[in-house]
Amino acid sequence: MAPSLSTPLLQLQQLTTARNFLTDITWSCQAGELTAVIGPSGGGKSSLIRLINRLEDPSDGQILLAGQDIRELPPPLLRQRVGMMLQKAFMFEGTVLDNLQQPFRYRKEALPGAEHPNLLRSIGLARLSPDYLQRDARTLSGGEQQRVNLARALINRPELLLLDEPTSALDRPTTDSLGQTLLEICRSEGLAVIMVTHDLRLARRISDQTIYLEAGRIVEAGKTAELFARPQSEDLRTFLAEPEEQEA
Amino acid sequence: MSDKTLLHLNLIQLVYAYALILLSVSLARFRQIGQERQMLWASIRMVVQLLAVGYLLQLVFTVRSPLMVILILLTMTGFSLQVMGSRIKRRMPHFYRIMGSSIMIGCGGVTFYFCLLVVGYTPWYDPRYLIPLAGMIIGNSMNGASLAAERLTSEMRERHDELETALCLGATARQAAEPALRTAYRAALIPTMNTMAATGIVALPGMMTGQILSGTEPMLAVRYQIAIMCAITASVAITAFLILLQGYRGYFTQADQLRNTP
Ligand SMILES: Nc1ncnc2c1ncn2[C@@H]1O[C@H](COP(=O)(O)OP(=O)(O)OP(=O)(O)O)[C@@H](O)[C@H]1O
Ligand SMILES: [Mg+2]
Repeated sequence: MAPSLSTPLLQLQQLTTARNFLTDITWSCQAGELTAVIGPSGGGKSSLIRLINRLEDPSDGQILLAGQDIRELPPPLLRQRVGMMLQKAFMFEGTVLDNLQQPFRYRKEALPGAEHPNLLRSIGLARLSPDYLQRDARTLSGGEQQRVNLARALINRPELLLLDEPTSALDRPTTDSLGQTLLEICRSEGLAVIMVTHDLRLARRISDQTIYLEAGRIVEAGKTAELFARPQSEDLRTFLAEPEEQEA
Repeated sequence: MSDKTLLHLNLIQLVYAYALILLSVSLARFRQIGQERQMLWASIRMVVQLLAVGYLLQLVFTVRSPLMVILILLTMTGFSLQVMGSRIKRRMPHFYRIMGSSIMIGCGGVTFYFCLLVVGYTPWYDPRYLIPLAGMIIGNSMNGASLAAERLTSEMRERHDELETALCLGATARQAAEPALRTAYRAALIPTMNTMAATGIVALPGMMTGQILSGTEPMLAVRYQIAIMCAITASVAITAFLILLQGYRGYFTQADQLRNTP
């Protein structure tokens, strides 16, 4: 089925998982849109995005990517189209360049060199200078590894990018500039992003839509500006009030 | 078979030999290690088990029925599986099925190749050759096989984040598991390589020693030893390869997802 203009890029339809209690999750987003997923720890945020690139399967419901059930795609192909940055930034042995070339090895394609535009673009977007390419990935700092992790997730040029706490190891200025870049790629290339974050300030600044997830359910969701300005539920009001104080 | 040079061991002589055990036990008693009874018990088990095997082999050698020989080979495989299963704490999914089939194909295949092409005796089921050769090949492959299985389990556990990262980047289950498989295969092969390198210098192999003692010319015994070492190496290589080839699959679903293993 060809994606028409009205077909959302991603549709989650009544997703329920047996093991980690996600219940009746329905949501959709368009190309070029940035969605933030917020909520208390253990609320199911990671579990939710892990369904979208099929690291796990729901026990009920379905997920459509550009109108197509994701189970119809071979998983490696799906995961090229839906990039994901895991919460823990695992670095393969070798240099940053080796790490960025990894997806090409899996596809048995020619490896892009350090000069390749796509490669330079990815590390640039992740706010890393090209000098990093020759560094040993495992000796980088937590924040640097996190940015390599993001660059690596971008290198397949996905349509949809899932980010699990992409800025948890970054300082405020780096977080802000990275957030800004994410927004720019969304707008200029039509990339859709779903970002799990504890950073409410970041969520508020860059996301178009926000999902508030608690105990495996969507308690509230909608346009970010509205959701932050007029939270409907008591839970969300409390949640929005507390962490901001901790951060200050 | 020239039995002429073979020095017979009579019962009295065996009793002298057993006196060495009693000597060891009294030394242990002197140092009060508190294991004297176990030592005695173990020595008695050894004697009884070996005598039982001796009688069984004698029976099998006189009956010479292919069915019986096959049955004995299967029993040997079963025992080796049981030993490996009890020695390994964390077993991979489908442990017994995978280990059993790998040993049957790996050890079995090499044993028959060795018996038919290298030694080349007839009939193929002659228990005098088939049983000791198969025993040697299975016995020496068990270590490599359990190392492969053990290492696969621990690698899959330790590399959880790596596996998931690889899957996220578009790897198939096979590609994601590749580094773990490589490490496990290396671990399985290293002891055999070490044994090969040390043979003749550090240790005189039991089979060769036995042949020489029973009157075989040293050069012929050495040739046999070389041949059997080759067979053991191949058997370890094939068995471990098959274990890993089947074993990693159990950690993934059909959709290249990591399965939650307990
Ligand atoms: N593999 C698993 N097996 C069993 N339970 C799991 C598994 N993964 C997650 N869970 C459970 O599911 C619930 C949701 O976990 P999840 O990781 O999705 O939370 P989260 O919202 O991402 O939390 P955090 O903000 O701390 O990362 C938790 O109670 C967790 O214990
Ligand atoms: Mg999480």
